Amino acid sequence: MSEILFYIGAVMIIIGGICDLFGAIGLLRFPNFYVRLHAATVGTIGGAVVPLFGVALLALGADFLPHRYAIAGASFITGIIVLLAAPAGATALAYAAHKVKLVEWKPKVDHLAEVRGND
Amino acid sequence: MKRLVTLILLLTAVITLAYVFQVPQPEDVKPLGEFYLENSYFGDYSAKSPEVITSILWDYRGIDTLFETAVFFLAIIGSLTVFRLTKEQEKEVKTESTQVEPLPLPIRTVTKVIVAMILAVSASIALHGHLTPGGGFQGGSALAVAPLLIIAAYSKYALEKNGLDKTRALILRSIGLLGIALVALVPLLSGSYIMQNQPIFPAEINGQLIGGSLIYYNFFEFLAVGAGFTAVFLLLAIPEEKFKKILGVRR
Repeated sequence: MSEILFYIGAVMIIIGGICDLFGAIGLLRFPNFYVRLHAATVGTIGGAVVPLFGVALLALGADFLPHRYAIAGASFITGIIVLLAAPAGATALAYAAHKVKLVEWKPKVDHLAEVRGND
Repeated sequence: MKRLVTLILLLTAVITLAYVFQVPQPEDVKPLGEFYLENSYFGDYSAKSPEVITSILWDYRGIDTLFETAVFFLAIIGSLTVFRLTKEQEKEVKTESTQVEPLPLPIRTVTKVIVAMILAVSASIALHGHLTPGGGFQGGSALAVAPLLIIAAYSKYALEKNGLDKTRALILRSIGLLGIALVALVPLLSGSYIMQNQPIFPAEINGQLIGGSLIYYNFFEFLAVGAGFTAVFLLLAIPEEKFKKILGVRR
């Protein structure tokens, strides 16, 4: 049982590392603000939340670790808080940038305008 | 390239120095440390607080901490003086002039959840101050983030409509200060010294470790710091147009 938890947790931490790497590359290479925001969110959700859940599973599986339930609970709660806060922060950033028209906005597809146009 | 070489040289030098000149590790507890441990954790007349730092901070260095707190409150009084307004101007500042479009729904909902969590965590930091690292000032600083988040996600007016305006924050702050002063002065009544922890305040109640006067100090400091920060944040959130109107600045 503890071995299964160990492997799942380790895989989740590795996924987190890969997501962080992709997020960093995307933040540097993507063309405009909105797509870069997407890359940053990949970095926070994939690169912080997933490994935190992985750490929680690892700690649950490690029988030798003192206070393992405290570590697992803290990681899990932190993960949930980041999972809640990161999308809200990204939304606020995108909303503010769009509202004050600081960022050039050239959408290829604008579903919202289409829907509003059809009304 | 030149910078990189300098950086590498600097790092190598620091690591080599740290390796060569190792800080000597103490092999046994020093007499002073033994005294502090004996009188704050062990012993009959101690607060029995496992967090010896808090014990020392509010007990042996109590007056020092009191003056440290006083510096913070002087800073808050200073900013309140800078923002001094008449009654009409206060009313003007509290009325919402232009209806601003609210932020998107996800931000507002998440803010509600996070604010509730911050309140819980800050209370835990402050009320566990005698058991775990933390304490009143840290808990109060964490508490002050909650109104700040509400100001950012909703507005200053949302906070004031729900009853937390500048006056209320100041009243809460004064209650906190008064509490600290009272807890400091109570030992004088039974012939002990000012700000003495034991034996006036019990270290345990019903088997629960409360660390003598530490929990009271932590709670009142928590209240005072949180409310003081909130008052200043409310003042800083006043829109610029309002101040231009009050001061009569022409555009």
